[in-house]
Amino acid sequence: MTGQHSEGVTPAKTGGNPFLRAVSAISTLAGWTAAGMIVVAVGITCQMIFIRFVLNGSTIWQTEAVIYLMVAATLVGLPYVQRLRGHVNVDLFPMMLKGTMRRMLAYLTLGTSIAVIAMMLWYGFEYWLYAYERGWRSDTVWGVRLWIPYLSIPVGLGLLLLQLVADLVAVVLRIDTPFGLESH
Amino acid sequence: MDPLLLGGLVAVITILVLFSGMSVAIGLLVVSAGFLMSFDGMRSLELMPEILFSKLDNFALLAIPMFIIMGAAIASTRAGADLYEALERWLTRVPGGLVISNLGACALFAAMSGSSPATCAAIGKMGIPEMRKRGYPDGVAAGSIAAGGTLGILIPPSVTMIVYGIATETSIGRLFLAGVLPGLLLVGLFMAWSIYATWRAGDSRVLSRAHYSWRERFEIMPRVLPFLAIILGVLYAMYGGIATPSETAAVGALLTLLIAMVIYKLWSPRAIWVVLRDSTRESVMILFIIAAAGVFSYMLSSLFITQAIAEWIGTLDVNRWVLMAAINLFLLVAGFFLPPVAVILMAAPILLPIITTAGFDPIWFAVILTINMEIGLISPPVGLNLYVINGIAPDIPLKTILVGSMPFVLCMVLAIIILSVFPGLATWLPDLVMGPEL
Repeated sequence: MTGQHSEGVTPAKTGGNPFLRAVSAISTLAGWTAAGMIVVAVGITCQMIFIRFVLNGSTIWQTEAVIYLMVAATLVGLPYVQRLRGHVNVDLFPMMLKGTMRRMLAYLTLGTSIAVIAMMLWYGFEYWLYAYERGWRSDTVWGVRLWIPYLSIPVGLGLLLLQLVADLVAVVLRIDTPFGLESH
Repeated sequence: MDPLLLGGLVAVITILVLFSGMSVAIGLLVVSAGFLMSFDGMRSLELMPEILFSKLDNFALLAIPMFIIMGAAIASTRAGADLYEALERWLTRVPGGLVISNLGACALFAAMSGSSPATCAAIGKMGIPEMRKRGYPDGVAAGSIAAGGTLGILIPPSVTMIVYGIATETSIGRLFLAGVLPGLLLVGLFMAWSIYATWRAGDSRVLSRAHYSWRERFEIMPRVLPFLAIILGVLYAMYGGIATPSETAAVGALLTLLIAMVIYKLWSPRAIWVVLRDSTRESVMILFIIAAAGVFSYMLSSLFITQAIAEWIGTLDVNRWVLMAAINLFLLVAGFFLPPVAVILMAAPILLPIITTAGFDPIWFAVILTINMEIGLISPPVGLNLYVINGIAPDIPLKTILVGSMPFVLCMVLAIIILSVFPGLATWLPDLVMGPEL
C-alpha cells in the first residue's frame, strides 16, 4: 500500500553536512517568518473587525495587508514545508520500485522540480523587477507599492529552489533516502 | 492537436507525474509548464509566477489558515478526550451508548477541528481502547472512528468546502450549511451499522450502559462548553451577516487559542509553536496546491481543453443520472489516490459547467463530491484515516481496520443514493437560513 505523505513531522536529514545544515537553518527561519506573518494576519483581521463593528469606523489598509501577508506566508513558507516533507505527495511508483530504480526516480523527480521552480524563479524575479522599476501601485485607497508584496515571489521560490537542491544533494550523498522512504 | 485529444494526454501525463512521488503542487506546475511550453511557446511560461501569485490574492482564502489554526489549537489539547467523555457520561441511557458517544464526539470534534485525521486521532486515542475494553469487536471500534473522522471534511466549518467554494465561486456560507444534514445522516447511518454489527457479533451485553452520577456528568462540562460556544459563535457571526467566513475564522482562531491557553494551560512557547508550526505547514501545503492548481487550470483553458471537454459532454446524449454515476465513479477513483483538496481543485472547474448544464445544483454536488472524498479517506491504497487509526492502535492489524471500515464505505454510498433521491437534504437548510438561491 502507498501513502500520502502529509501527516507527522519527519524533517529531511542533514547528516552533519555544512551545506545541508545551512539550508535547513535558512528554511527553518523562513518557516518561522511565515508563521509570524500568519499570526500578524490573525491580529490585523481581529483589529479590523473591532474597528468596523465595535468602533463603527472604516478600515482602509487592513484587508489588503492581510491578503498580502497570507500570500507572502505561503510563498516564504514553501521551503520550510519542503524541509518537513509536508507537501503532500503520492508515492505509488516509488513504493513499487526498489534500490537503484527508486533512486533514479528520485533524481528524475527532484531534477524536474528544480528545473521548473528555477524557471519560475527567473520569470518571478523579472516580474518583481518590472513592478519595482515601473513603480506599480495597487489600485486601492491604500495604493501599496506592489514590489513589496511581489518580493515574496522571488524570495519564496528562491528558497524553495535552495531546499530542493539540498534534498537532491542529500540523496546523491546518501545522507537521506530517496523520497524519505525506508528501504525494505 | 485536437483539444480533446490533448486533454486526454494531459490527464495521462498528470496521473503519471502525480504518482511519481513528486509533491502534488510541484507536479501540477511541472505538467502545466511542460504543456504550455510545448503547445503555447516559451513566452507563455512568463505568466506562471504572476498567476501563482494572483490565485492566492483572495481574501476568502484567509479562512483556510484561520480554520486550520482553530483546529490545530483544539487538537493540541485534551479537548477531544473530554468531549468524548462528556458524551459518554451524558448518553448512558442510550443503547450502544459507547459507540454512539464515539461517533457523536467525532461529529462534534469534526465541527471544531475541520480536519479528518485530527478527528480520528483525537477521539480514537480514548475511544478505541475503551470500546475494545468493553468488548466491542475490533473492526467496529476501528472502523467507526475511521469513518467518524471523515466527517471532518463535511460538517462545517470544513476546509474542503471552502476550497470548493473558492474553486467554483459558490457561497461558502451556503456550502457550510449544506453539509449539516448530510453529516447528521451519515452519523445516523454509522451509528445504526455499529450497533447492528456489535449485536450480530454475538455479545449484545457490550451495548449495555455504564452508570454515571449527575455530579460526574456536570463536572466535565466547563471543559467542553467553551469550544462549542466558539463554534456556535463563529456560525452565528457568519450567518447573522456580522462578518465574512474569513473574518469570523480569524476571531475563532484567536478565541480558540486563548481558551486552549486558559483551560488546557497551553502556555509554554514550545506548545504554542507546535500549534503554529502545524498550522503553517498544513496551510502552506493547501494554499500552494490551490495556487498551483490555478496555474494548471490556466493551462487547461489556454489550450482550450476545458472548453472542449464541456462541449463534448454537452453533445453526449446520456441520461443525467448516468452522467452523475460516471462522475461519482471518477471522483471515487481520484479520491482513492489524491488528497480531497487536490481532487476538488483539479476536477471542480471542469465538472461544474457539466453539472449545471445537466441541471444539478452545485451546492448539492459539493456534498456529493465531499462524501466521495470521505470514502477515499478510508479506502486503500491511500486511506489516510486508516493509517491514523493504525498509528494509535498498532495492535489492531491493518486488515481488520480495513475490513471494519468497509461497511462504513457502504453507508456513505447509501448516503449518496439517499441524497440523490432527496436532494433537499443538502439544499433545504441553506435555502431556509440564507433564502433561496437566485
